[in-house]
Amino acid sequence: MYQYLIRRTFGALVVMFAVATLVFIMLRLVPGDPIAAMLYDVGDPAAIEEIRRSLGLDQPIYVQYGIWLGNALQGDFGNSIYGSRVEVSRLLLEALPRTLSIASISFVVAIVIAIPAGLIAATRRNTGADYAVTLVAFIGLSMPDFWLAILLIIVFAANLHWLPAIGYVPLSEGFWPWFSHLILPSLAVGTAFSAIVARMIRSSMLEVLNMDYMRVARSKGLSELTLVWTHAFPNALIPVVTVIGIAFALLMSGAVVVENVFAIKGLGRLLIQGILNRDYPVVQGAILVVSAIFVFSNLLVDVLYSFIDPRIRYGS
Amino acid sequence: MTNKTLDELSLAQRAELEKELGEAYDFDPKDPMFGLSKDELSGPDMSRRAVLRLMAAGGTLTAMNMLPLAGGFGDVQAASGGVLTCGWSGVGQIVTLDPAKIDQVVQFQITSNVLSGLMHINPDLIGEGDLAESWQVNGDGTEYLFTLRKGVTFHNGDKFDADDVLFTYNRSKDSSKSIHSRVLKNVNSIEKVNDLQVRFKLAKPQASFLTKTLERSSGRAMTIVSRNALQKMGTAQFGLTPVGTGPFKIVEHQLGQGVVMEKFENYYDPSRPKLDKVIIKPISDPEPLAAAMESGDIQLIGGNPIAAELIDRFTANADLVVNEVTGPGFQSVWINPWHEHMKVTDFNKPVSELMKEKGFMVRLAFAKAMDRERYLKIAQFGHGTPAFGTINPAMGFYYDKGLEKTSTQTFDVKEAQRLMAEAGYPGGKGFPTLRLATTPSGRREATVVADILRKNLGVKIQVEAKEWSVNVEEFDSMRWDLRRAGSGGDFDPDDAIVDWMQTESKFNGRKRDKSKMPFGYFSDREADDLINQQSTQADPVKRKALVQKANKITSDKVASIFLFHPADILVYHKRVNLPKQSRIPGLVDLDRVTMS
Repeated sequence: MYQYLIRRTFGALVVMFAVATLVFIMLRLVPGDPIAAMLYDVGDPAAIEEIRRSLGLDQPIYVQYGIWLGNALQGDFGNSIYGSRVEVSRLLLEALPRTLSIASISFVVAIVIAIPAGLIAATRRNTGADYAVTLVAFIGLSMPDFWLAILLIIVFAANLHWLPAIGYVPLSEGFWPWFSHLILPSLAVGTAFSAIVARMIRSSMLEVLNMDYMRVARSKGLSELTLVWTHAFPNALIPVVTVIGIAFALLMSGAVVVENVFAIKGLGRLLIQGILNRDYPVVQGAILVVSAIFVFSNLLVDVLYSFIDPRIRYGS
Repeated sequence: MTNKTLDELSLAQRAELEKELGEAYDFDPKDPMFGLSKDELSGPDMSRRAVLRLMAAGGTLTAMNMLPLAGGFGDVQAASGGVLTCGWSGVGQIVTLDPAKIDQVVQFQITSNVLSGLMHINPDLIGEGDLAESWQVNGDGTEYLFTLRKGVTFHNGDKFDADDVLFTYNRSKDSSKSIHSRVLKNVNSIEKVNDLQVRFKLAKPQASFLTKTLERSSGRAMTIVSRNALQKMGTAQFGLTPVGTGPFKIVEHQLGQGVVMEKFENYYDPSRPKLDKVIIKPISDPEPLAAAMESGDIQLIGGNPIAAELIDRFTANADLVVNEVTGPGFQSVWINPWHEHMKVTDFNKPVSELMKEKGFMVRLAFAKAMDRERYLKIAQFGHGTPAFGTINPAMGFYYDKGLEKTSTQTFDVKEAQRLMAEAGYPGGKGFPTLRLATTPSGRREATVVADILRKNLGVKIQVEAKEWSVNVEEFDSMRWDLRRAGSGGDFDPDDAIVDWMQTESKFNGRKRDKSKMPFGYFSDREADDLINQQSTQADPVKRKALVQKANKITSDKVASIFLFHPADILVYHKRVNLPKQSRIPGLVDLDRVTMS
């Protein structure tokens, strides 16, 4: 197992390096001069060149890459090229808790809805309950999350005044202020997520429920609850965990649209604004973090397999 | 204003109003100084009498400007204290508050509450002393001696004195530290006379020196910073939480999440600020902004112009106040004079000569076919003023109201169609499809422009929305056919005509291939000369004549299709009391604001 983990970790680092290199090159090939755009109103060519030089952007691309890579390996992602040139690591450290908060609560919301819904749909196949769950899942999947987000704001914030419309409050300022600001964004993001997971649970459970060992267990007189929860559900989890892992990684890389709607500066919004502004260091740093989230989420899912299904072992 | 407002005044108030109006208009129209003395036009600020007289001379004075309750906001009545939460529209984060690095209006709207300058503009865009208590100008306008206000302290407790002015100047002059060094190019030197006096020596007289170079918000180059705080904090942290002498101090700033400001107890004016705390949250999208306002999460909207489609919604809300004044800016549709079918290689001819050229005929046809009223109704939901030049109505004294009727760009569809036919494109036949460059957020209103021209001239225009950085690069290189763009924060004529209308203006095709394009989008020698002259003309009356003449030339020769002057709309909850002195177009000054 340890050898497997080491191999996978090494592979993850290679993937991250490749992604970062690709993004580095692509950013510089995309049209648009960030310094000229930033200083457009100032209109001073001397100032533009001075800033370009101070940021090293006048160097050949391979020199810029070498400098960036060398610094990144030492944990220095550089500074934003905009405004006060705040350290990228600081921006990432500020954005991550916000994204993690939304992702975690969205995840909980999704699982709390998806597991019972998926199980009900599977165990009551072709009944009214199954059709209802399927219909709601399709609606959840079809609804754009930004549209749902705006609808939630209009209903619960603007009209009912039950919850705040925008913003984020850190947990250090109190549980309820933190949580209340996350309810609406998490619902907006978690709804589609829950629909996907519920459908996956239903499909996977149906496959497992039809297996021979389930018939044997049923004929032994075990209760339906024991059959479903102890024997069927764990075996149905493998594909479900795969989907959950990918979906969580997507959540962690930032639900950009929802972050924008709720004015929360999470990882997704940081990344998108960085791209639009051609803020190279921010994009490169954020992409490294996002790729790390993806590869290590996949690794975690693979490790979880071995706990869920004892038959799965990772040897040398 | 309606008669209802007048009826609400007491007899004493009406008598006072009529007396002031009478005095304001009591001058000989032939008197170039309108009955004012040179001292009345000097600092520390202009007297109410002088301001009203100049506005009367400019034809912009009405009772509206003088009513205590004019514009829907009154004198401060509520008690001090309270917390105001603001949403800053159309922006995702406030990247810096360091005046040396500020490049957006949304940023200096905040620093105007935190940092001071030697001068600050009032609601009539006239400069008043801020940290400068008084000033004297020498005979030829090249030396300014400022006496600084006594007893001013920075937020960190340091005393403010002449050394801080020198420090700020030296920092701003250094292009490696400030992006605004160019603003000071006319300043030869600055000398400390004593702890409370500094002397600026200019290379040549500059009419806009007080309102442009030294203004605390839009000026930036001479917005006073604390040298100790800079050294201790470093530039990165200082840019997030700058230390100044303003009415509010910044206590927290998280990029993307907002700025928190608290009352500065030792502000030089003990009666200000009124609020205890101000929280500013950047909200980039219009719908969440509206929801936040309606839910009460925020009580005031500042920042970039509010999406026009939201204004009616806010107006219909009984809990909200929608305060609209003319904004300090202009918006245009720019025409590339190097496009084969719109080519004008030499603007230095009288209009009558230019009218013989096909390229100019097309240019003028486009301008005349632009139904500005219709554009405003559809694209801006009725908000804004039709424009025929760069000088905006907020500039008051310098604005030429008559230009709307005298400009060659006055709307006339039949004449426009005749010009197109004479140019060889009757009904737009044979005219190629043009690309109208804009940004993604400007797509909707650019489509309105394209539609109007298609309807009135039969020309096909394709809207091309590209990101700002790409848009700017193409504009600078003159790789476009038509472009929708303009200017904001234009408090002085220099901001408009110097920055846009001269051959060497900073936006005028600075990255073009000069071997193929001797100028960018426009060049006229007479306009260049007039603009240079007005820039150094200290007499406001003479300056006005020069400004208006230059403005007329750029309008008649279609430097661009001048489209509209945006409205400056401030939306706030009715609990927010915003006095008249705080309503400066383009700014969001909160030092006199109170909450009921």
